[in-house]
Amino acid sequence: MNFVLIFLITIFSLSLFFYGRSKTKSISIEKNIKLNALPKFYGYYLVLWCSIPSLVFLLIWTLFEPVIIKSIIIETAANQGAIFNDKNEANLIYEKIKAIYAGTYFGDIDTILKESALSYAKFINLFTNSKIVLIFGIVIASVIYSLKKIKNNNKARDDVEVILKGLLFASSLIAILTTLGIIFSLLFESIKFFSVINIFDYLFGTNWSPQRAFVSDASAITAAEYDELKDAFGFIPLIAGTSFIAFIAMLVAVPIGLFSGIYMAEYASLKVRRISKPIIEILAGIPTVVYGFFAALTVGPFFRQIGENLGLTVSSESALAAGLIMGIMIIPYVSSLSDDVINSVPQSLRDGSYAVGATKSETIKKVVIPAALPGIIGSVLLAVSRAIGETMIVVMAAGLAANLTINPLESTTTITTQIVMILVGDQEFDSPKTQSAFALGLTLFIATLVLNYIAQRAVKKYREKYD
Amino acid sequence: MELMNNVKIKSKNLNVYYGEKQALFDVNLDLNEKEVTALIGPSGCGKSTFIRCINRMNDVIDICKVSGNIEIDGVEINDKNLDVVSLRERVGMVFQKPNPFPKSIYDNISYGPKIHGKGETKSELDEIVENSLKKAALWEEVKDRLDEPGTGLSGGQQQRLCIARAISVNPEVILMDEPCSALDPIATAKIEELIDELKKTYTIVIVTHSMAQAVRVSQKTGFFHLGKLIEVGKTEKIFKNPDNKMTQDYITGRFG
Repeated sequence: MNFVLIFLITIFSLSLFFYGRSKTKSISIEKNIKLNALPKFYGYYLVLWCSIPSLVFLLIWTLFEPVIIKSIIIETAANQGAIFNDKNEANLIYEKIKAIYAGTYFGDIDTILKESALSYAKFINLFTNSKIVLIFGIVIASVIYSLKKIKNNNKARDDVEVILKGLLFASSLIAILTTLGIIFSLLFESIKFFSVINIFDYLFGTNWSPQRAFVSDASAITAAEYDELKDAFGFIPLIAGTSFIAFIAMLVAVPIGLFSGIYMAEYASLKVRRISKPIIEILAGIPTVVYGFFAALTVGPFFRQIGENLGLTVSSESALAAGLIMGIMIIPYVSSLSDDVINSVPQSLRDGSYAVGATKSETIKKVVIPAALPGIIGSVLLAVSRAIGETMIVVMAAGLAANLTINPLESTTTITTQIVMILVGDQEFDSPKTQSAFALGLTLFIATLVLNYIAQRAVKKYREKYD
Repeated sequence: MELMNNVKIKSKNLNVYYGEKQALFDVNLDLNEKEVTALIGPSGCGKSTFIRCINRMNDVIDICKVSGNIEIDGVEINDKNLDVVSLRERVGMVFQKPNPFPKSIYDNISYGPKIHGKGETKSELDEIVENSLKKAALWEEVKDRLDEPGTGLSGGQQQRLCIARAISVNPEVILMDEPCSALDPIATAKIEELIDELKKTYTIVIVTHSMAQAVRVSQKTGFFHLGKLIEVGKTEKIFKNPDNKMTQDYITGRFG
């Protein structure tokens, strides 16, 4: 139904474009007046007036219709004697009614359900009809309004400008609101979590085993239960594992990335640069899951093999394998950004250095790199926040056990891995185990936000220096 | 009648190409020791290209090819086997736009000596820095803030800092590529005064767009046009009584 309506509105408003354009043309010829805008703007004006109000109305209606119908139906069902103890049971009955209406319900149908299904059908009809009537009303009203406007030779160009500005504003508003929505949902769920688990037990606890956290009733946790619980949500092993793997990744990515960036910017001929830069950047385009199974199936076992030959115990899922692969994944970020940063160091500085007799590598080491340092630090920090947020590789290659260890050959785990583990499969949303995922998410969000902020400040500071 | 000094730098049939394009045509030019030689001419005439041959700065540009000879004290420098590092130690350069390193004033000056292994101890370095800054007439202005960044100085101070940086490795020749074009008149006057002082110790080649500047600072002037050296002679003669019609037209402002 909605698609038909949208289609009709679109067709109608497009035809209005041609009407508006020719109408204003003929008006200007008939009355011999100068139009306030090009004829096509009157066309746009009609299109926008005809489509936007009705489409917005349709959107809002579609969002609220099911909610309203549901509350009405549940209420009528209750009046007819249906019994439900809580929200879940009410939902169940509502779903049954809907299924009966759609003809896909095969259980027993008692009178209450039957009556409710009939009234559901009635309401659906009523709402659909009134929706159509209202939309036509809105279309007609807005078309009459806008036609009247263009007959009076309004400043259609400016008006179109205002409407378009409004549309663009609405788009950015949606983006911002979505972000805020995500942040708030993280925040609220985390607050629920922290109302059960003391924030200090979370931040400074050294043991992470959320699987242990069975709670019979989350709203009433006894002191004995809490003693059990507070030990299960220690954040330290996760942040340690995350930082450790990110550290290994940076050990790989920073030197290789930086050196290849220097090579690209300073030594490579134009031809080499043109070929090799895109190749390095392909690394950034490989899906992380591919890196993940590469780490888990090739690199991990390879390290274990070497370890066995050397007489070491190496877990097949190790921080080393995950960190190494993650480092390789991050190389293009570091190399590409530092290449850009080094390139933007003015040639005059290099000339100045050559002119006192410095060689190329001396110039790079003592003039170019120090001058580009803020930008390079910025690129490294961006890479770090990428490493911290990376999920797939560590899920597949680093292991799940939250060991508090600094042995790179043992398996360890990260914040992101744990979020995945907690939210995969069935969840109870009132258990602290599930809620802890949101607390982790919030912590991770804050950490990367801070890092990104610092990185961008560093990059910006660098830019100001030479622009 | 003042005496002409010895020839320090001698170019013979110097040709320079940027890729396909030839930038200098058979330039034969002698530059005298402890004297200021000014190179004038319209934009793109090859004056900067010429001085960049003297310290082989054109090596930095991939597509640039140099043929012909340049001798300093009779030694050919346009030779593949020549050590460019020690050449540039002997031939310093100051650029059009002041280009201090984003380091402290002290580090800007000590950079060159450190590279060439001069000034082993801190006190020796201190001395080099102080002397260079004094010779560049900047010491009094910056002696209390040697650890502040060189980029924080004014344009004229920055250019004197760059001159001090060039002096710091104790060169014989200083090349100046339009050193005052980015400076205001007062800063320009200071630099010109400084050039006058420096010529007692160094051989100076200065590229300039300002004819007045050439007259004020130089003893010898060369006029370039479209990659060719049109005329060269004593500055006085070039500006009062040039042999070539084109030189006459240029210095009287008829083109350029």
